Amino acid sequence: MSRKSFPFRSTGGELRDLDQPGYYPGYSTLAQQKSWDDATRKAVTERVEKTPPIRFFSEEEAALLGAVIDRVMPQDDRSEARTIPVLLVIDERLFKNALNGFRYENMPPDQEAYRIGIKAIDEMARSRFKQHFVDLTVHRQELILKSLHDGNPDPENAIWRRMPVHRFWALLMEDCVTAYYAHPWAWDEIGFGGPAYPRGYMRLENGLPEPWEKPEQRYDWNAPVDSVSVLDKEGAPPEHGSLHGHGGSH
Amino acid sequence: MPHRLGPMQTLPSPMRRFAENETVDYCIVGVGSAGGVLIQRLARAGFRVVALEAGPFWDTEKDWVSDEKSSHELYWNDLRITGGTHPLALGSNNSGKGVGGGSVHWAAFAPRFHPSDFRVYTEDGVGADWPISYWDLKPYYELLEREIPIAGPAWFPWGDPHGHPYGPHPLGGVGDVLVRGCTRLGIRSVAGGPVAILSASHGDRPHCIYRGFCLQGCKVGAKASTLITHVPDAITHGAEIRAHSMASRISLCDDGRVDGVVYIDREGNERFQKSRAIIVAGYAIETPRLLLNSACPGHRHGLANSSGTVGKYLMAQAGNVVAGRFDQLIRLYKAPPAHALSEEFYETDKRRGFARGFAVQTVGPLPVAFAKQMIAAMGAWGWGLRSVMMDYNHWATIGVLGEILPWEDNRVELAEEKDQYGLRVAKVTFNLHNNDKKLIEFGKKKVMEIMWAAGAKQVVQESRFAHLVGAARMGNDPATSVVDKFGRSHDIPNLFICDGSTLPTQGSANPGLTIQALAARTADYLIKHGDAIFFSNHRDLAEPGIRYDLSPPYTRFKGIPRIA
Ligand SMILES: Cc1cc2nc3c(=O)[nH]c(=O)nc-3n(C[C@H](O)[C@H](O)[C@H](O)COP(=O)(O)OP(=O)(O)OC[C@H]3O[C@@H](n4cnc5c(N)ncnc54)[C@H](O)[C@@H]3O)c2cc1C
Ligand code: SF4
Repeated sequence: MSRKSFPFRSTGGELRDLDQPGYYPGYSTLAQQKSWDDATRKAVTERVEKTPPIRFFSEEEAALLGAVIDRVMPQDDRSEARTIPVLLVIDERLFKNALNGFRYENMPPDQEAYRIGIKAIDEMARSRFKQHFVDLTVHRQELILKSLHDGNPDPENAIWRRMPVHRFWALLMEDCVTAYYAHPWAWDEIGFGGPAYPRGYMRLENGLPEPWEKPEQRYDWNAPVDSVSVLDKEGAPPEHGSLHGHGGSH
Repeated sequence: MPHRLGPMQTLPSPMRRFAENETVDYCIVGVGSAGGVLIQRLARAGFRVVALEAGPFWDTEKDWVSDEKSSHELYWNDLRITGGTHPLALGSNNSGKGVGGGSVHWAAFAPRFHPSDFRVYTEDGVGADWPISYWDLKPYYELLEREIPIAGPAWFPWGDPHGHPYGPHPLGGVGDVLVRGCTRLGIRSVAGGPVAILSASHGDRPHCIYRGFCLQGCKVGAKASTLITHVPDAITHGAEIRAHSMASRISLCDDGRVDGVVYIDREGNERFQKSRAIIVAGYAIETPRLLLNSACPGHRHGLANSSGTVGKYLMAQAGNVVAGRFDQLIRLYKAPPAHALSEEFYETDKRRGFARGFAVQTVGPLPVAFAKQMIAAMGAWGWGLRSVMMDYNHWATIGVLGEILPWEDNRVELAEEKDQYGLRVAKVTFNLHNNDKKLIEFGKKKVMEIMWAAGAKQVVQESRFAHLVGAARMGNDPATSVVDKFGRSHDIPNLFICDGSTLPTQGSANPGLTIQALAARTADYLIKHGDAIFFSNHRDLAEPGIRYDLSPPYTRFKGIPRIA
């Protein structure tokens, strides 16, 4: 689903297709599945092997949201075979109308929020650049999305008066990371240990790897340098007062 | 296949089943932190008890996984509406659904409240006083610390200093950061607890394997949940737990007493459980929702609501997470998220310019949760998000746990919208007040200081809230509270509330242990009064005296709280 966006200038030279980005070359959580319990093995391997079809979004909507996801959760550095499904996972959640337990009083239901949110993005593309969002250059797509991230939609669109843009942004981003960082290939990328029952861990302090984990090998990862989504010091969104974390922690 | 509760423990079988029309002594709504303890004690004392639980009866080997995303079902995911100036995130951020309730996915920090928590109004002129003192609850803290049991330092220096029956856990990377940062600033800290996690095996429960999936439900059975600590004993003693049973309304008779609970079973059929007394233990949102949804003639504004305070004085703790990036590796996913803390800032310090305080605690977000934190804390997206996540193993996270005062305008009401059962859903409104804002600002700065002192190269923070309590508070005055000091509603003599919703203030200790201690105390009261609860309207407010003969197996007098 990922639309490759070459050419990008990247820190480590030309942006390459990688089977495994990140600093843990050769590390594979899936290779450890013999040490997992049955229920966990089933849940995780199904995530890799079974990808659901698109059922909630129309074809055009899927293409549009797919293009948005390619920018907010980019995978251009990943090889086609190692691209992690994100759109399909969001589509499945909305198809099943699986909720996260709450809705902000000034937000429409999730299904509608997505429909009108991506509609607004396409309208913004057409009014600013006279093209559909999917046809814009990567840079122009990023400019539109960055304005949503900043909480100042440029150009303005009536939908953002009905739906707070920072809430839509959080909804979209959280759904994207829930799909991406729940995937074992992403665990390999960031060096997360993955499922750990019944074996457990034995080296708790000093960030030491387990015998089956890999030590970190830092190198100049080829993240694009000309993307507007690269972190900068002022990267944090404006304090909305009401914008706060949704995860549980303690 | 037996019903498994961890790798070794099984659910006693068969479970008793009461006949459709049988009247039971107690019908309990919700088997969570409080409900699990209550049902166990009442069954052991010989009462006929049925508990209705909206969620499933977990078989931990089949239903739980060592995986973040697939653990979503542990939470109360049904619709709730959230609003106010600082709307609370609900769902995975607060309540559980299924036998064990929130104790299934809690991080299991188990500190006691401080003596000052029970006298906030007297000492600081804000919030409320409790109708009981710390000393009334202290024996129950000690009892539950053995029953759960709690692992922790031999000497816990804050509040009423105490030790713990099980030894402390080894330190993980994040705890190491907390202790180092605190030490450099001269702040006292403790490590290895207090947590409701086994540091040595106990009965048929193995010790912790440091896998860090506590919030996903502990498949190992090392982390306590009432599902594995109290429910098995309840079943052994003849209690029935009816899973997939959603209470929709409490029924009131002409004599002003309640006589049963209407609920919806797994197949969607409406059923009625007749009961001589009823205890609602459904969590700080569902408890007031059920009372409000049970409005009837004579109780137009909801059951037990003559004071108008049902749903009001809802509290959440400030739960800001401060993340620090270190040059060296941390690997924050190892070890239980909960394993080191400081309560140095717990009490009011007039020089700070606000009442009450906060605790400092380790947290250990797994990748999805951490990515969400980076979205909120750094505004990360796109390539920036990918690259900050590649440094996942270099980050440590420490939480603020700050006391937010009880305010009347923070409340649970009914929304117009309905859920899948046709019941009006809860609408939660939350606003921060001046004292709360000052406290949060101070707390978050202090924790950021600790993170820098530990040697972080970059420090960011995400604001959030945790631990909803209140919304059906206890008190001496029927005009300003819903229940008395034993959880009996002021309005209806055989209707009780027993869960986090009865807390008048919340301190900056995690509430779970206190909720369970209060449940054991309510149970002692009910047992002492025996059948009088079912017939008499007399309200005896004498302390019942603690009973030590009701503990689950392997726990009675086992483990000595070491005190230096
Ligand atoms: C991520 C996370 C981490 C946490 N960490 C900690 C921690 O470290 N330490 C700590 O002390 N606390 C922690 N907590 C908080 C703790 O889990 C709760 O405070 C506690 O479980 C509340 O207990 P309760 O008895 O009030 O309700 P619950 O434990 O939530 O139980 C209520 C039960 O009632 C059921 N129910 C509700 N309504 C109905 C109905 N109408 N019919 C039938 N059943 C119903 C629910 O399904 C549920 O099982 C944490 C919470 C979260 C979300
Ligand atoms: S870290 Fe320990 S208590 Fe937590 S889930 Fe793992 S084994 Fe259970």
